[in-house]
Amino acid sequence: MSESPVLDPAVLNTLRQLSSPGEPDVLAEVLKLFLAEVPPRIVRLRIAYAAQNIEEVHRSAHSLKGSAGNVGAQRMFDICKRLDEIGKSGDLRGAGSLVDALGAEFGKVEAEIHRLVEV
Amino acid sequence: MVPLQVLVADDEPVSRTVVGAMLKKAGYSVIFAPDGAQAWQLLDNDDSPSLALLDWEMPGLQGPEVVQRIRNRPSQNPTYVILLTSRDSSADIVQGLRAGADDYVTKPANEDELVARVNVGARVVQLQMALADRVRSLEEALANVKALQTLLPMCAYCKSIRNDQNYWEKVETYFTQHSNVSFTHSYCPSCYERFVKPELEALEDARAAKDRQRRG
Repeated sequence: MSESPVLDPAVLNTLRQLSSPGEPDVLAEVLKLFLAEVPPRIVRLRIAYAAQNIEEVHRSAHSLKGSAGNVGAQRMFDICKRLDEIGKSGDLRGAGSLVDALGAEFGKVEAEIHRLVEV
Repeated sequence: MVPLQVLVADDEPVSRTVVGAMLKKAGYSVIFAPDGAQAWQLLDNDDSPSLALLDWEMPGLQGPEVVQRIRNRPSQNPTYVILLTSRDSSADIVQGLRAGADDYVTKPANEDELVARVNVGARVVQLQMALADRVRSLEEALANVKALQTLLPMCAYCKSIRNDQNYWEKVETYFTQHSNVSFTHSYCPSCYERFVKPELEALEDARAAKDRQRRG
């Protein structure tokens, strides 16, 4: 069974078509923002997990989930969603491997973005 | 027509940019706020945007809190508020609507759904504006009617009316100035008997006398 793509082409297409005439390219703008915004938040999540700060794990995972959803990074979205749920439940068991998986998946998303657009 | 202005408040730049681009493409004018406090600052004045999309979870003031503040503020044109939320349990949705939101959209937003819901909001806003205009013109009309309901001093003999400047005017002049009434002169049956008939008879008599003279 083939894995789902790193970035959902349908979502990328929607973003591509959002550009209004005379306005900057929305897809490039969004991907650039994503690359700038996500790494510090992953770091914050790692620190929060190391400190067992449940509330911050929940908050960071929740906002990362939103960003991932907006660029169609489906697998990254799923990982964040599970972290979001774990954070909400108040029991951080199992979060460690998800935090690692998130870092690895973001690496793939980043490479894919660089392959797609010049950012 | 001037495009309606929509406020997009979201602490997450990616989401804010995507939602903003969807609305711009649909023809709306968009302004942004990076958190709830700045959203409230933009909404708490007289020429605030008529539509607002508020993210639920923002640092500081959260979406539902901003909605509550909007609803506690007396306003002629209340803002139409849509909450943007990745929460999708029905308890959360009920809580958001109870806080005073008009609608909600779950994140990540689907373009067609988001624009369709904002369009519904725009229809409501336009209806509100049209109604407010109608109420204003009715209030003006009512004020004019009231001006005519005051006590008018009228001369018992010549029927002149004393105007606000203490000057005596003819009834026709007064009403032409204080209302949209215009006069056309005619006579009533009793005045016909009293004034018109004798005048016609006098004319008839004069003509008969002239005829007699010519013949004689």
